[in-house]
Amino acid sequence: MSWLSLLILIPFATALAVVATPDSKWYLRRWVALFGTGVVLALSLVMSVSYMQVVQQRGGDASVLTISQMEFEQSIPWFKSMGIEYHVGVDGIAMAMIVLTAIIIFTGVLASWEVKERSREFYAFLLVLVTGVFGVFISVDLFLFFLFYEVAVLPMYLLIGVWGTGRKEYSAMKLTLMLMVGSALVLVGMLALYHAAGSQTFDLNKLAMVDYSRDLQQWVFPCVFVGFGVLGALFPFHTWSPDGHASAPTAVSMLHAGVLMKLGGYGVLRVAVYLMPEGAKQWALFFLVLTTINIVYGAYAAIRQTDLKYFTAYSSVSHCGFVLFGLCSLNLMGFKGAVIQMFSHGIMTGLFFGLIGMVYGRSKTRDLTQMGGLSKRIPWLATSFYIAGLASLGLPGLSGFVAESTVFLGGFFGNRWVDATTMRICTLLATSSIVVTAVYVLRGLSRVFQGPMTKPEFSQMQDATIPEKLCTGILVATLAIVGMYPPVLIDLIEHAILPIANRF
Amino acid sequence: MYIQPEIIVVVTAFAVLGMEMFLPPRHRVLETPVCLLGLSTALASVVYLMIQGDGNFLDGQFLFDGVAGWFKVSFLLAGLLTVLLSADLLNGRFKIVAGQDRELIHRGEFYTVVLFNLVGSMFLISATNLINLYVCLELATIPLFALVAWRRNDPLSCEAGLKYIILGATLSAVVLFGLGLLYGLSGSVDLFTMGDNLSFGPATKLAIAMVVVGVGFKLTLVPFHMWAADVYRGAPLPVAAYLSVASKAAGLAFMFQLFYRVLGNVLLDVSMAVAVLAAVTMTLGNLVAVVQTNVKRFMAFSAISQAGYLIMGFLAPDGAPSMVYYMLVYVVTNMVVFGVLVFYLNETGREEIEDYRGLSRTNPWIALVLMLGLFSLAGIPPLSGFVGKFFLFSVASKAGFHWLVAVAAVNSTISLYYYLRIVRQMYIEPGFENDPPLRASVSIVTALGVSTVLMVVLGIVPFFYETIYEQTHNWIASSH
Repeated sequence: MSWLSLLILIPFATALAVVATPDSKWYLRRWVALFGTGVVLALSLVMSVSYMQVVQQRGGDASVLTISQMEFEQSIPWFKSMGIEYHVGVDGIAMAMIVLTAIIIFTGVLASWEVKERSREFYAFLLVLVTGVFGVFISVDLFLFFLFYEVAVLPMYLLIGVWGTGRKEYSAMKLTLMLMVGSALVLVGMLALYHAAGSQTFDLNKLAMVDYSRDLQQWVFPCVFVGFGVLGALFPFHTWSPDGHASAPTAVSMLHAGVLMKLGGYGVLRVAVYLMPEGAKQWALFFLVLTTINIVYGAYAAIRQTDLKYFTAYSSVSHCGFVLFGLCSLNLMGFKGAVIQMFSHGIMTGLFFGLIGMVYGRSKTRDLTQMGGLSKRIPWLATSFYIAGLASLGLPGLSGFVAESTVFLGGFFGNRWVDATTMRICTLLATSSIVVTAVYVLRGLSRVFQGPMTKPEFSQMQDATIPEKLCTGILVATLAIVGMYPPVLIDLIEHAILPIANRF
Repeated sequence: MYIQPEIIVVVTAFAVLGMEMFLPPRHRVLETPVCLLGLSTALASVVYLMIQGDGNFLDGQFLFDGVAGWFKVSFLLAGLLTVLLSADLLNGRFKIVAGQDRELIHRGEFYTVVLFNLVGSMFLISATNLINLYVCLELATIPLFALVAWRRNDPLSCEAGLKYIILGATLSAVVLFGLGLLYGLSGSVDLFTMGDNLSFGPATKLAIAMVVVGVGFKLTLVPFHMWAADVYRGAPLPVAAYLSVASKAAGLAFMFQLFYRVLGNVLLDVSMAVAVLAAVTMTLGNLVAVVQTNVKRFMAFSAISQAGYLIMGFLAPDGAPSMVYYMLVYVVTNMVVFGVLVFYLNETGREEIEDYRGLSRTNPWIALVLMLGLFSLAGIPPLSGFVGKFFLFSVASKAGFHWLVAVAAVNSTISLYYYLRIVRQMYIEPGFENDPPLRASVSIVTALGVSTVLMVVLGIVPFFYETIYEQTHNWIASSH
């Protein structure tokens, strides 16, 4: 059995273990969940190291490949007559995403340390969700990919609906339905590709070897791009995201903004761009414009927000726009930037939402205008918040800088299928959003943490507890490591991006 | 002998009827185990025959093949689960609510009628002669009229029965007219000869339309679905459960016989009409289900939309395995959901959607089972409903009906919306004050256990689909 299967078996087994805990001992559940996710985190780190070794040993020249090379592969026939297989394997991109997911879920459990209400179901659904996310990243078979994709989306409904705040039923339903319409589009596209390739296999790499007709790619590409784009908060299908994030409980926001939205970008890269280069060339301009709007609109919308969660959610829309923008530039640099941005934004936004949950637990309000002077009482949380904010506005030394500068370079280099001037105008517009980001981040943070204390009860606040310190500490450290020494991440993903970039 | 499952069911029916006549009332409770035993034996013998391979009886008048085997498995499963689900009502285990009369009477006769109906469906898929086919269709329909109106003192039940019988009888006549036309066009009553002789022309079109109208009634295809909501509402709930699966499966069996054996040559000429019928059925069923407040009517519209997905399989010549598989999946999944509805109605007397609030606290396991059942109906992985729908969508995509795949997939999302309404009541809304924990009877637990396990296993273990595929993908070729 491949090690990869453990990545879905361990979270699922942990979910079952959580369900089996006795009623009276609710605190046992968080330890079980922490243990399970801790094992997964360790496993994912070990695997990424050994992935690097395997790739180095294999050697060879990746610059001529046009088909992704998977490692740790395992393939078991499933529905043979349809050519469906349980086929798992990873390349560097998937490996990076797996590490990201493992970090986020581990810190997510730490951030939800105090969940007592119906904690059995909470941890169980959370772990099922993560099972689905890991499943997507390890799938090589498109059917399996789609199956796990839906498994990852559905528990969100209950997690938001039961444990959320505010207009939770509305947000939960909106989120679920919009994402499911997205996956309906993906389904149409993937079935069309499957039959065009001879109805023999769902293997992504075998599907990639087929030359699809121009006409087919012309309509399937936008279907799949938009389908996954909904989850990646593509304008104008991003509207589920602010409501969903604002209503979700802390760990779920972390996981959702940190990992689940990356499934959208990952799907676009792995299915739309990888399988349909012709379609990508034809539609590059259209989606480039949409994603530019994404970036700029998200940033401007964030300025106007007074609720901390909406604020971060719109900032996420803007930052996820960078991922899709990078993918639309259709060159090596752009793809690389997109993947780095997925990782970097995942960690950063996980940190943001984790911190918002922690601050909200203390201040009982998320309204920016009512908060002030908190840094006096909660220096640890305030410092972490500032670091997250600085990463978000792309300060060198933190991972956001690496990601965004790569994306912009990719956009500026452009490609042969989009007019160079248009490309550069879009890139410039996108780059200008950094300034807007600086405005809203610095203004928002200084309002919350600086100045005089606005409410007397704030003076009773306690700084971070040990689980909270651990949670934020891990995330800040990751931001800094990737920011200071980007090769950690770039070496991991570069080998995997070449085959995709070579198709253009 | 290839007819032995049918014989077992008939013998059981008469045995139960005899027990009802000669046993004193306090011993009549024994009829339930006898009935279960008979159905299980019949199921076992069907499985045995399927392992043995194809065969025929009475000079080919009765044909047992892979497709027939799987249909019979579905019918018998539906029958077994219905017997289990009706046990509580027959035993008088239900909460008495003023203004509601829910007890089922005449245990033995009830079982006998169900079993006769089952036999009709079982013969239906094996008949190779037009006249037998029609008689079997009638046998698979007429007992249902009685079952729907079983609570004769309940005006709703009687009204439902009346509505059902009037529409049913009318549409039987239409089917008969269509079959008559087909006979006239082909000059034979043997299904295979008919298929060879038939060519596509205006009269054939008319005949197909008439037959589809009649079968559309059984399968609840829009616009022949009008009866469904009222009949499901008025019928005793286990009967509604039976109606939603067995009657539909029988309609599908009839369609298989006609579409593949008689109309096999012209099937692709009508695929556009089938696609439109499927799209209209699933869309209307889903949209109307959104606004329902009563779970029975809700399930009626949900069942209508499922029929829309089901007939997508007719779009390509090799869609038979997907349809047979989905039918099996649908039978167990719908029985899971109906099982919980029966349980909840019996224990609390409630049947409105908003009455399901707090079920996750009063009985978390049952709530989980209902959630899984609803998710499977909506096509959420890794449950079998997802796999089944995926295969059906794949058939439509293969036939080039990409727009239909899009319509169907969007419809799945709409259906998720209304299935989630129940999930929301169970998990999110606060429950009733002072509701005690609910306990399920042995028969309900057995029914739910069996059907839930099957629902999950069918989607994960490839054995079932692969076997169905092997045994049925050549069905069209071999049926000529």
